[in-house]
Amino acid sequence: MEKWIVLSAMFLLTILVFVVKRRNGRRHGERAHEHRHSFGHKHGGLISIDYLAYSSKIRHWNPTFKVILSVLTIILCIALNNVYVSIVVILAMAYLVIKVGGLALHDYLSVLAIPLAFILISIFAIVIDFSDQPIGIYHLYLGFGYLYTTMAMLKYGVFLMLKVIAAISGLQLMILTTPSSEVISVMKKAHVPKDFIALMNMIYRYIFILLDVFAKMKNSAESRLGYRDFKTSCYTFGGVASNMLVLSLKKAGAYYDAMEARCYDGELMFLEEDKKVEIRLIVPAAVYVLCLLLLWYLTR
Amino acid sequence: MKNRILKVDDLHYVYGNGKLALDGVSVEIFEGEKIAVIGANGSGKSTFFLNLNGVYTPAHGEIIYREMLVNKKNLNELRKNVGIVFQEADNQIIASTVRAEVGFGPMNLRLPKEEVIKRVKEALAYMNLSGFEDRPPHYLSGGEKKRVSIADIVAMKPEVMIFDEPTVSLDPQNAMLLEEVLLKLGGEDKTVLISTHDVDFAYRWAERVLVFCNGKIIADGTPLDVFQNMEILKLTNLKQPTMMEVYNVLVEKKILPDTQAYPKKVQELKAVLDDCAVLLSG
Repeated sequence: MEKWIVLSAMFLLTILVFVVKRRNGRRHGERAHEHRHSFGHKHGGLISIDYLAYSSKIRHWNPTFKVILSVLTIILCIALNNVYVSIVVILAMAYLVIKVGGLALHDYLSVLAIPLAFILISIFAIVIDFSDQPIGIYHLYLGFGYLYTTMAMLKYGVFLMLKVIAAISGLQLMILTTPSSEVISVMKKAHVPKDFIALMNMIYRYIFILLDVFAKMKNSAESRLGYRDFKTSCYTFGGVASNMLVLSLKKAGAYYDAMEARCYDGELMFLEEDKKVEIRLIVPAAVYVLCLLLLWYLTR
Repeated sequence: MKNRILKVDDLHYVYGNGKLALDGVSVEIFEGEKIAVIGANGSGKSTFFLNLNGVYTPAHGEIIYREMLVNKKNLNELRKNVGIVFQEADNQIIASTVRAEVGFGPMNLRLPKEEVIKRVKEALAYMNLSGFEDRPPHYLSGGEKKRVSIADIVAMKPEVMIFDEPTVSLDPQNAMLLEEVLLKLGGEDKTVLISTHDVDFAYRWAERVLVFCNGKIIADGTPLDVFQNMEILKLTNLKQPTMMEVYNVLVEKKILPDTQAYPKKVQELKAVLDDCAVLLSG
């Protein structure tokens, strides 16, 4: 049974990488005609994750519920350390985000592919070892020694990989269905220090303003041949960067004035919508967690 | 006689770099007035507004709100009743959803949550933004952002609303919407101050015009008085509103009798011309 898991996991992984790669290549060509999102969809890692979270169909679920479910999933994955649990979690999270949340499969996979690259590199280091004897089930002669792997090492590596992917899937549930402002409000409820919360709120808002300013500056520099060759590009980059610093200081001043004008007195308070925790959601979530525990108990 | 709402007396303000931005500004503002503030860039309009709201502390001079002399202790009372819509919405919008953004002011007023929710809802409906509650500001267009920044202030229900160059960077349609909102606010007897470079708009909308030049108020009167004063227009590099110029040309060419009945809108000019035609033919 376990051998099959190892083999099919490796097989699926290859397919996944291939699919993501091909779709990415094709999407670039299509983008000109195809604009699936109606407004404001900007490209670039951070913004698209933010946008995906914002357009998720389960965004209206209570954010505390989603964060707890996601954190609980991650903890269970790591604590139970069971390959069946990992597989169930990967499938369940994908189902929640893609099917219930209405996210395109490709978007889900491409967000997953970001950490996957790092995971694969580290898994290779665990699975492959070096020896001067031809040992293990597979080995490769390099002239001065052998790269080899054994079944036990393969199994350990793949199981570890599945565990990590499962934990990341749990995280994906949170980041792909809950906008950052709501995650921050959950942290506030969890009594994270107020100053951190205020900082996070402002940084989150400001990331978008700075990106916008940066894009404008870059465009205007580019229109004046600021990026014509490598040396000029370096100078331009330096200019843009120092200008950004000056500008952000200036903007911070203007921002503070605007906050003070609205009676800000040192404590950042926002109106948050109370989203009811529905029994309809809690019961399946509880059943799901129990199932994971049961599965672990049966396959121990 | 209308009640006085704000009295500014001999206000001086000096920037950190030693530049004198306001040099003895004195003015009285009454309930329900519609005031246009004009003047070149750097003439002290924005600084004046930030002083009115209590964000900047004047070097000397005083501000009296109703009967209350404003000092450090009752500053929040002033801020509560004088709201500013800033020139750039991106410098004003602070929260990551429209709901939180519009609720920011009322929350700072320490209102009960039900009241905040009610006010946010009203302000959004007022600015035609219902349904935008959950939108993050970075997915809004420029015009929508401007409307959100106005809703911010509407939700605080101040007695005096200040707009710092509101029509800059708005397309014609949004500028028209803005003028409708201003008319709506005027109908509710709110005191509104607007800084603008658009003399046509100031002439058409305002009841009173303040002209700033180098940190001083050099003219204060009805639009007609101010825009007929060539000396002031020359000093501030402003031109006469188009409607006035057209009227003057018509008088000069003897098409209209010189009755000083300056029209403010195209319709009014048409009515004047119609009347005149009746006179001539009759």
